[in-house]
Amino acid sequence: MIIAQQKSIQDIASMIEDCNKVLLVGCAGCVTVCLAGGEKETEVLAASLRIKRRLENKPLETVTFVATRQCDPEYIETLESYVKDVDAVISLACGVGVQYVAERFSDKWVVPALNTNFIGGSLNHGEWEERCGLCGDCVLHRTGGICPIIRCSKSILNGPCGGSQYGKCEISKDMDCAWQLIYDRMKALGKLDKLMEYQPPKDWSKSRDGGPRRAVREDVMID
Amino acid sequence: MSSGKVGAVMVVGAGIAGIQASLDLAESGYYVYLVEQSPAIGGAMPMLDKTFPTNDCSMCILSPKLVQCGRHLNIETLTNSVVSEVEGEPGNFKVSIQQKARYVDPDKCTGCGSCAEECPVKVDDEFNQGLGKRKAIYKSYAQAYPNAYAIDPSKCLKMKKAKACGKCLEVCQADAIDHEMQDETIDIEVGSVILCPGFEKFDPTDLEYYGYGKFPNVVTSLEFERILSASGPYGGHLQRPYDGKEPLKVAWIQCVGSRNCKIENGYCSSVCCMYAIKEAVIAKEHSKNDLDTSIFFMDMRTYGKDFEKYYDRAREEQGVNFIRSRIFKISEVDEESKDLTIRYADEKGQLHNEEFDMVVLSVGLEPAPSVIELGKKLGLELNQFGFAETEPMTGVNSSKEGIYVAGAFGGPKDIPETVLSASAAAGASASLLGDVRGTMIKEVEFPPEKDVSEEDPRIGVFVCHCGVNIGSTVNVPGVVETAKDLPNVAYAGEYLYVCSQDSQASIREAIEEHRLNRVVVASCSPRTHKPLFQETMREAGLNPYLFEMANIRDQCSWVHMNEPEKATEKAKDLVKMVVAKAALLEPVKQMSVQVTPKVLVIGGGVTGMSNAISLAEQGYSVHIIEKSDQLGGNALRIKQGFKGEDVQAFVADLINKVESSDNIEVSTGTGVSEASGYVGNFKTTLTNGDIVEHGVTVVAIGGQEYKPTEYLYNEHDAVFTQLELEEAIAANDPKVTQAKNIVLIQCVGSRDAERPYCSRVCCNKSVKLALHLKEINPDVNVFVLYRDVRTYGFYEENYRQARQKGVIFVRYNAEDKPRVEAAGNSLQVTVTDHVLGEPIVIETDAVGLAAAILAPEDNEQMNRMFKVPLNADGFFLEAHMKLRPVDTAADGVFIAGLAHGPKSMEENVAQAKAAAGRALTILSKDSLESSGVVAVVQPDKCAACLTCVRLCPFSAPRINNYAAEIEAVLCQGCGSCAGECPNKAITLQSYKDVMLMNMVDSLYKEVR
Repeated sequence: MIIAQQKSIQDIASMIEDCNKVLLVGCAGCVTVCLAGGEKETEVLAASLRIKRRLENKPLETVTFVATRQCDPEYIETLESYVKDVDAVISLACGVGVQYVAERFSDKWVVPALNTNFIGGSLNHGEWEERCGLCGDCVLHRTGGICPIIRCSKSILNGPCGGSQYGKCEISKDMDCAWQLIYDRMKALGKLDKLMEYQPPKDWSKSRDGGPRRAVREDVMID
Repeated sequence: MSSGKVGAVMVVGAGIAGIQASLDLAESGYYVYLVEQSPAIGGAMPMLDKTFPTNDCSMCILSPKLVQCGRHLNIETLTNSVVSEVEGEPGNFKVSIQQKARYVDPDKCTGCGSCAEECPVKVDDEFNQGLGKRKAIYKSYAQAYPNAYAIDPSKCLKMKKAKACGKCLEVCQADAIDHEMQDETIDIEVGSVILCPGFEKFDPTDLEYYGYGKFPNVVTSLEFERILSASGPYGGHLQRPYDGKEPLKVAWIQCVGSRNCKIENGYCSSVCCMYAIKEAVIAKEHSKNDLDTSIFFMDMRTYGKDFEKYYDRAREEQGVNFIRSRIFKISEVDEESKDLTIRYADEKGQLHNEEFDMVVLSVGLEPAPSVIELGKKLGLELNQFGFAETEPMTGVNSSKEGIYVAGAFGGPKDIPETVLSASAAAGASASLLGDVRGTMIKEVEFPPEKDVSEEDPRIGVFVCHCGVNIGSTVNVPGVVETAKDLPNVAYAGEYLYVCSQDSQASIREAIEEHRLNRVVVASCSPRTHKPLFQETMREAGLNPYLFEMANIRDQCSWVHMNEPEKATEKAKDLVKMVVAKAALLEPVKQMSVQVTPKVLVIGGGVTGMSNAISLAEQGYSVHIIEKSDQLGGNALRIKQGFKGEDVQAFVADLINKVESSDNIEVSTGTGVSEASGYVGNFKTTLTNGDIVEHGVTVVAIGGQEYKPTEYLYNEHDAVFTQLELEEAIAANDPKVTQAKNIVLIQCVGSRDAERPYCSRVCCNKSVKLALHLKEINPDVNVFVLYRDVRTYGFYEENYRQARQKGVIFVRYNAEDKPRVEAAGNSLQVTVTDHVLGEPIVIETDAVGLAAAILAPEDNEQMNRMFKVPLNADGFFLEAHMKLRPVDTAADGVFIAGLAHGPKSMEENVAQAKAAAGRALTILSKDSLESSGVVAVVQPDKCAACLTCVRLCPFSAPRINNYAAEIEAVLCQGCGSCAGECPNKAITLQSYKDVMLMNMVDSLYKEVR
């Protein structure tokens, strides 16, 4: 899922400094699961902003709503009645959601409440780690299910490098060397010979190469 | 009743043991008479400040049990009562009870306390160990049940001379006091008797060298508990009773009245080492100064679960000094300061005189003379010290069938072992009375519940004066007037005592007359009184959750006594808020699940078999699975118990009982491959493919002996573990039986950095093995190299005997462990003597190693499958270290035996029976009900994020069909999930956001 975390209340408040009434829109997708933008966080943020503004003698009115997802236009449509009389919209979605809201309500001041960090999973409750580099050309079948693109600091394909020591990466003693992990896993799987195959330079054109990528499935497209 | 048995049990003594035994039995379908000598239940636990090793507040953990026991429909509490006669046979005893007059009717008395305020007679308060005063009319402690006062006839002026006083009568508005009340004889019939009369603390006055009674700054440990307690005479402020000075230096003297053969108290009192450490640690916390604490001890006996770590922390982190010495004498420094000098010799034999501000005597536990008398009257076998002698390997059976022993009467015990023995005695009683279960219990019938869902709220507000407790501070009529004007209020009235019986009738009438569908009582604490009012609701045909309380006493009149006007305003606000919430209350339906009346016992050792037999005897079907190919477990390797029992005969008997029982099925060579379900409805797949459906799970998978890597074990064939040594003796191995010298080394693999726990049984085992070796060959020299000899309780006698027979005990330090070297066929052990400070070299023919008891490997698998947590040492963690010693965080899963922690065989048997007693509280019911308000999921809002699943301490939520589901029967209504749910998909019934927001809105309506 997408992992995001809330910006500081000061940062968010400064984006809507001159507004008297704002709509806060949560998202019931990824950001609910990573505890950043569900109904609870939306209500808590609204209350925090109101308290802050009350203390500053500039009372703020808030309206809250949680969209099923903010990355599909139909769900954004459900916001329409709320958006009308507010001065700004604060989206608690990932960067995608903020853009969808801004695009649909192009005359409104739409601001992000979250920083979208990465796509990853949870390690413990309240702790997440990046697990995918979105390279567009998955190599996990060659590396024992461990991604060298995102988990190796250098994203090298024929590791490890000379900076691997005692299983750790040279950049931090707390960071595992991805290639050590790959080696150990492949060894346990009895597939070390696969690691001997040289991997040519990756075709990064499928990754971020200068413009937004687009994915199409013609067979499901509706005329 | 064809068997002629009676389905009721008498429990004598209402300390924590009596309360636990009563609750277990009453919850399992037996009627209980709980007989207590004093005017209140609770025993010694309410007097304690904190409890080791968790430092939980004693009163806080006990008080819910007091309420539960006091209100239980099937527990009849007889206070001020003693047993005068018991006749009959197991299953049918006729008992005569003498109930002394209380002079206050507990049904009328509301515990308001006005009488005691007026009473002019002050006497020493025994609850506070004489450190404070109480009145002649008194209640032992604030949370006491019955919540009623009693008159001490020997002190009351009116009792001596009718016209001398009568002030209490003048102020008692409940008309509860009657100075003419007479003693009564009560005759009852019961099927069995559980004796748990507790202990008396040793009185150190006669031991002159301690100066107790002569020097005011020498106090007993129980006095010190009261000094530390927030409810004690000094409100928890650490001070000397003599002059109120805050002490800077305090000493504890261990073994006062214990391990002392001169006064014929040769036994160890088992609990004093731990309570002294606890008192020292807590005293340091209470002290504003850097309190200096020293404990003078002989052997540090921190043998219980997690005790050693507590000792380690006290020594290493909290800076408590431990001085190994039996002191000579305490004297006073001078008349003026009343400070004290302790004269003692250190380990090297050097004499010291050290000054302290205060000395605490860690007094031992004794049976009270009245208890010894009762034991004799019942014809029970008592040991030389007056404690009840229990039948071998039963844990709780007295020498008379049908009479069981629990708590300290069977020997000094700490709280968890006391609770455990109580559940075990309840289990044993139930085994005896299995065929008459449910024949004596009472059930209440309530009228059908009215459906009020379509009605607008009509709230009734009942405001209490609580005698003068509320009424003298808060303007109650004013509060009533305000209440009448609140939205949705259809009726408001004032009552002298809302909790009295006649008030319950008026509440029911008001509900009828004013067609009320919500009730608010403004009085005291819901903790004590909510269940009473909820019952009244049910009697009036209303759902009990359409009820709320405003606490205008504890949280208002009591704390704002000097500001009556503001207190009245606050009381009005409190009522306003609660009325605002009440308008939104919804009925809560109790959810229920069926119970499969079958038990899966995992582990076929002594513990598992004892548990299975106990449950099978009560007619429940039990399936035992055992991983190895035969029943018996570790006990198959043990020949002799600590009291000389023939263990092989005992195990053979157990196996025979298991195999011949119609109710027990055994699968050997079988483990668990998959487990699902929850309390009442488990479904477990065995490794043989069978699927067992069961309502209760008992995990008793034993432990294992540590295989030492030290002391030449496995390298030299004359180095044995304890179990191997025992086997070698039994096999008449000449290496052992013909040895001239044998060395036994203690704490091998225990009490070290890797395993910082004591294995509890090894000292006793080595002492017993040494005695056995001496028996075979009186000329053999047996050396026991130890760190602390932990022969707790009556096992101290074995230790004394061993020394008498010439067994040589040499103490070594953990930092300087003995060395074992090979010397041809024999061995050479070098140990530093603690007095001489010089190495001693012992040429020996054999070495026995007291190897640690390890948690079984399968604990981790059980942890995953049944969600039973493990402690840091890999043993199962009980639901509560003190009060729920065999329950686990997973409802319906019970633990017993070594898998829970090192224990002796007899203790394992007791724990097995306790698990049976606790299991019964589930098995005896056809269905289980949810415990009140529970958390409810709105699945369409759920993101299946797992927050609730990860968070819940009771494993109630799970994800099903892409959304969370909360099993109502497992939910305890704590609300953690509702608070944390990131999409607010979970609400806690009766605590919805909208209700709480309405409360806040109602409070601030005027300012808005």
